[in-house]
Amino acid sequence: MPLAAERAPGMPASSAAARGAGAIVVALAASVFLLFIVAPVAGLVASGGWRGLAGLGADRELRASLVLTAFTATVATVLGVIGGTPVAYLLARRAFRGRALVAAIIDLPLVIPHPVAGIALLLVLGRATPFGAALYAAGLRVTGSITGIVCAMLFVSAPLYVSAAREAFARIDSRYESVARTLGDDAWRAFRRVTLPLAGRGLTAAAIVMWGRAISEFGAIVILTYNPKVASVLSYDRFTSTGLSGAVPAAAVLVLFALLPLVALRALRMDERQGR
Amino acid sequence: MSRSAFVRSKVAPITVGVAVAAAVAAVHACSRPSPSGAAARDTVVVFVAASLAKPLQPVFAAYSARTHAVIQAESGASVVLARRITELHRIPDLILLADPEVFPELLMPRHVTWYAQFARNRMVVAYTANSRYAAEIAPANWMDVVRRPDVQVGRTDPAIAPAGYRTLIMFQLAQRFYHRPGLADSLLASAPERNVRPDASGTAALLAAGELDYIYDYQSVAESNGFQFVALPREIDLGDPSLASEYATAQVRVRRPGSDTTVAIAGQPIRYALSIPENAPHAAAGRRLMSDLLSPAAVRELRAEHVDMLDHPIVAGSNPPAELRDATGG
Repeated sequence: MPLAAERAPGMPASSAAARGAGAIVVALAASVFLLFIVAPVAGLVASGGWRGLAGLGADRELRASLVLTAFTATVATVLGVIGGTPVAYLLARRAFRGRALVAAIIDLPLVIPHPVAGIALLLVLGRATPFGAALYAAGLRVTGSITGIVCAMLFVSAPLYVSAAREAFARIDSRYESVARTLGDDAWRAFRRVTLPLAGRGLTAAAIVMWGRAISEFGAIVILTYNPKVASVLSYDRFTSTGLSGAVPAAAVLVLFALLPLVALRALRMDERQGR
Repeated sequence: MSRSAFVRSKVAPITVGVAVAAAVAAVHACSRPSPSGAAARDTVVVFVAASLAKPLQPVFAAYSARTHAVIQAESGASVVLARRITELHRIPDLILLADPEVFPELLMPRHVTWYAQFARNRMVVAYTANSRYAAEIAPANWMDVVRRPDVQVGRTDPAIAPAGYRTLIMFQLAQRFYHRPGLADSLLASAPERNVRPDASGTAALLAAGELDYIYDYQSVAESNGFQFVALPREIDLGDPSLASEYATAQVRVRRPGSDTTVAIAGQPIRYALSIPENAPHAAAGRRLMSDLLSPAAVRELRAEHVDMLDHPIVAGSNPPAELRDATGG
């Protein structure tokens, strides 16, 4: 303390100036960064948004692909929630051997280049493999099909759900569960009646993030399923085959479409803050 | 606390900055040409029709090893490659397409003034030993085998790839040749949209993976992938130049992507053609690579890779480069 007191007289002027300069640098860097994110998106929507929305009525292919994308992303998200929630819960709550390994495995799809993920899925789920042959016999084929789109979306986006859901569970004080258990609830009942409702918003947010990631997936999907075309494949296809003029309106509509989960997420968080 | 935080916050960006600078320097050092080859190192951007990409790989590799040139090849469906030039204004130094007609339709006269045909090909029905009914299929019954309900047949997108519209033309020729009304539509129905891929090598990859049983593709693609194939009668395989007028009686309408307009495409003997765009950034390097590809040694090498090279290229258009005159032997 005395040390600080000795320095005090000299500090305000120089440190305030340094802090001021630092603040300017930080603000500048932040604005450039934000502009870097916002400008392409805003530019795209500004140059093609209206044309795209106006043309949506006539563009049956784009409409069909938006519906297909929303549907497959929803199916993938539902499957991710069903399969990922128990994993997320175990990772958040239980200390078990190999927990770090499981966590690392679940993050694996995040670091694999997506076309590689598509090829890997083809090698495991393709018709030439025993598992793929069984799927095929059951009427499910992974190439050129909705099944393939859902598989690709699930593979690349489920890790985001699991890690966000894990955090949502970790935020809940485990004592609530313990109290429920001491009052006679079994583990499942305590989870269903206490933990799940408390983690509800967090899990919903995690699912929305997963859905958003799923609708934006391209690389893995295009390996498995070129037709029918999801929105990302269609926009790339239009870009390569008709160039900018043909691609911009469709791309702008896709940006607006992709804003839906973001808006939902914001609404959820606002609601949460007001609810407190 | 505030002091240590200040120090830390100041050190961190510096550390990151130094690390980034070191990384950039390292990457730069790696990507720099070796001193020995630094003097005359060509960079050549080449657009390659997907069906040619695989056979050209070893030829490009040998050329790079010999001349230290850096070849940046991009492969895709021929119409897509042409549109990269017209719509995205990305100009390659050499472009090799699976259909000469793409040059007059999309690229002349703005981007290209001449083109040279340099190879032939034929449509085949390719399959592997694992394909269903592989033991049964033969030139006499292929059209029945591929239409069986438990068989998956693939084809290429006719809107953007020559192999795609040539398949549809072949269906029409087959209907007439075999005297089987309705065959063309029926063959098309047995190779549905979901089995369509953007280019000739995309369908080949799915056949190799076992997802498809049969694909309509070029003979060179089948051979270079080690597939088995049914050779089609020359009246329908689009491979015989002497039957050009017969082929021309078949015509398909293809929808250009992103628009409601369609273009009519008539049957023609399959030819590959190359050109060097007017505004090619490294035109001289492109010409050097072109001369090499058309040299007797490279022609032999490409034939060994199953590309049916012409003995001499056939040049169309105006102002072809001098290097082509040597190759045409005139």
